Amino acid sequence: MLAASVGLSVSTSGCLQHVRSIVNRNEVEQLSLTITTLSADGDRESIQLAQDISATLETAGIDIEIDMQSREAFRRSVLINHDFDIYVGRHPGDIRPDFLYETLHSKFADESGWQNPFGFTNLTFDTYLDRQQRAGGEEREQAVSQTLEALALEQPFVPICVPHEFRLARTDRFDGWEQGHLATRMGYLGLDPPTTEEAVLRAVHTDSRPSQNLNPLAVEFRNRGLITGLLYDSLAVPRWSEGGADAGGSDEETDGIEEDDDRTYTSWLGTDWTWNGNGNENENENETGDERTENGSSTDTDTDPDIELNPDADLEPTGTLTVTLREDCQFHDGHELTADDVAFTIDFLSDTTRDDSEFPAPSPRYRGHVDPIADVVKQGTYELEFTCTASEPVAKRILEIPILPAHIWDERTETASIPAITVADGTTEALITDNLPPIGSGPFQFENRTEREFVTLERFDEHFTRRESVALPEPSAETLRIRIDPRSTSAIELVETDDADVTSLALESYVVDDVLAAESEREQTSDADPLEVIESSTGSFYHLGFNARTAPFSNPRFRRVIARLIDKEQLVSDVFYGHARPIAAPVTREWTPDSLAWTGTDPETPFLGTDGELDVEAARAAFEEAGFRYDDEGRLRVRY
Amino acid sequence: MLTQVLVQLVVVVTLMIAVSVALFVGRRRLQVTCTEWRTRLRATAPVLAVLTVVLLFNSIARQIVPDLSWMIGWNLTWAIYDIEGQFILWLQSFETPAVTAYFSFIYIYGYVFALTFPVVAYFALADTRPLRELLAAYTLNYTLGLVLYVFVIAFGPRNMMPELVEALLYDTYPQYQHLTRQVNRNTNVFPSLHASLATTVTLLAYRTRDRYPTWFYVTLGLGTSIALSTMYLGIHWAIDVLAGLGLAYISVSLARVLVDRWSVSAWIASIRGRDADDDREMDSSSDHT
Repeated sequence: MLAASVGLSVSTSGCLQHVRSIVNRNEVEQLSLTITTLSADGDRESIQLAQDISATLETAGIDIEIDMQSREAFRRSVLINHDFDIYVGRHPGDIRPDFLYETLHSKFADESGWQNPFGFTNLTFDTYLDRQQRAGGEEREQAVSQTLEALALEQPFVPICVPHEFRLARTDRFDGWEQGHLATRMGYLGLDPPTTEEAVLRAVHTDSRPSQNLNPLAVEFRNRGLITGLLYDSLAVPRWSEGGADAGGSDEETDGIEEDDDRTYTSWLGTDWTWNGNGNENENENETGDERTENGSSTDTDTDPDIELNPDADLEPTGTLTVTLREDCQFHDGHELTADDVAFTIDFLSDTTRDDSEFPAPSPRYRGHVDPIADVVKQGTYELEFTCTASEPVAKRILEIPILPAHIWDERTETASIPAITVADGTTEALITDNLPPIGSGPFQFENRTEREFVTLERFDEHFTRRESVALPEPSAETLRIRIDPRSTSAIELVETDDADVTSLALESYVVDDVLAAESEREQTSDADPLEVIESSTGSFYHLGFNARTAPFSNPRFRRVIARLIDKEQLVSDVFYGHARPIAAPVTREWTPDSLAWTGTDPETPFLGTDGELDVEAARAAFEEAGFRYDDEGRLRVRY
Repeated sequence: MLTQVLVQLVVVVTLMIAVSVALFVGRRRLQVTCTEWRTRLRATAPVLAVLTVVLLFNSIARQIVPDLSWMIGWNLTWAIYDIEGQFILWLQSFETPAVTAYFSFIYIYGYVFALTFPVVAYFALADTRPLRELLAAYTLNYTLGLVLYVFVIAFGPRNMMPELVEALLYDTYPQYQHLTRQVNRNTNVFPSLHASLATTVTLLAYRTRDRYPTWFYVTLGLGTSIALSTMYLGIHWAIDVLAGLGLAYISVSLARVLVDRWSVSAWIASIRGRDADDDREMDSSSDHT
């Protein structure tokens, strides 16, 4: 009897174990993913891209859902909460490739903002980025190519295309639109006639967010910071080298203090800056990374044997940047702007709690700009010395940050609080304030606004560009009235009927052909209608981002196959009506290495199919080769 | 631009109402109204006051609702799209400039007319109950609609499939963008208030068909056109319109139950009576102390 029960229990326990080992295996399920994107009112091209891509992925046996969100909600989900599988949207980009550092370095994977929203972590990749960050001269170009090639291989995000930007302007009241890029403050300064009393410059803006929030640090509310750029000054203004568009304006001569050889920046709030490389007169040749290339062959860019995987290496300072400020500048509230404000801003952007809290809260914008600054030393009221851990061109990005008034932002270090609600650590007042009215030192000051209707800015007469001695483009209009109008078609109508002077955001692609046709018609009939279509280049690009924190998006093989399901050439013609440039590398043309130049197809991850039509067999084969399986009904199955 | 569009709207709708008054109401009713308008106004004043308050509250609340929705609401766009799929595309396949012009006119002018004319027509009736039911039903539509807007985030078809569903109204007549965005937010498409209010008018027209027989047939055509226009123009999904029909039915039924349930004048009289009682009690108690 006893033996029998023992025997029974032994046999049942064996059986249970068998059952357990069967049941406890997780089901291999059909891959079901959500594409997070914007509604057509938020970004028409994004939802169209998402629709096209989802149709292709569905043919490849993936179950897709599209999660459409508003502009702020989208950025909150993707950039702050990292709550997405895949997203399709527009990256602000840059005219220089240095933004890749904060975009992909693993040390930023846990932060909020445009710094590594993908949660992409790869030590080899970090090494490339570190090298790009610290390399100077020719080695810098090499390092950039190397990073871009690694990016094309790993596909932490899939760069899709760079749209061409078109804007419509009237030339009868103001002219000289092409002098500065209309996505930057320079586009609205130095217009003709030079100084018009009581003149109102009327811009029509197709995004209502500036009427709700003018915080330069609020990543949910900013695209590329045009309007905050008019309200806040930076130390210098980057010059555009591609496509002839020059953010410095046609006014090549600055006030003569600036270094002659600096072709990358025009002086602004800073009048002068000098770079001192560490310990040597020729700083570009004297960086730690350089020796490596000399050891390895200089043509060897793909697999550098000398790259050391040492993420914990303490970064030696590479040099110092000394910046002299313009004297007697003031903020819109009359406070003087001194080196204290600049030092404060840099400190504040790297941690908006200013060390008050255990949990640092870096700014979600300008993160890469302040990261290479190890130390700031004031050398008087108008001079600062920055100790940098990056090469000269990278360190100089610090010149682009908006200078915040210390006396206002100093009080915004506390964690924001709402009674009875738990607020996430690191949510400082600075990051969530709507910053109204914004007090900066820029050429325009805030006057008033009505939510979703307009924002009015007034010329700041104390601004240094208004001085006789300063030959920089200055605000010509006394008032800049930014009218909010959500659609390109009605924005165009406002310009055509003389209710607005310029569309400040680029027109949506689907109206561009009509606008261009109207222009050529005007030319043919020599119509006196004073309208002008302005085309400008941009560093901003559309992309598909993976949340590499979770499977299967953490798998580079999976990401590569997805990249090969996207026909960028076809998307450019379907969604952008040809008004975009398909890309394999998310940088401007001049920085694109030959190996990644567009050749009618993607050089690294060519489309598996022809003319937008996916070759389903090839796609399956590619997924199977990457280690995934299909079931009998053609559904892609994965283990989460 | 906005004022221009608004003036145009007011002028056109006033003309439409004037013609309709001549056609449906008739001179005799107007003459009686001229003598009785004070009493009728007094009878409808309480409902009118409630509607005004609700509309004012609505205009403020609509600024807040989207933010609130993104915190607590459900995003149902995909679910709706998944269920009804390509219906809107099918509807838009009948697109011609004339049809677009017709439905755009209906969406803007026809809708405003459909809502305002019954107010005039019912005011011209000796019995104020239809007017009070109408105003109560409007109030309920707005109130219940707002609650649904808080809990449901849904983008319309034009936002989901911009390349397939053309935003016919805004691209063909961009000036209306200025008008409609004053009242509509793009995440508030479920339910369609256009459909629900037009249906409310139709349902009440059915109930008053003995007094305005032709008007009932007009509302049938007009209501259907308004509901179709919201879908044809890519603004609402079919599900939004169905929800609008449901909302209209509920609002009209509730209005029927609620109207005449409480009488403000009786309530005032009862308060006066109670006050008098209280006074008397106080007097008597003071006697005792």
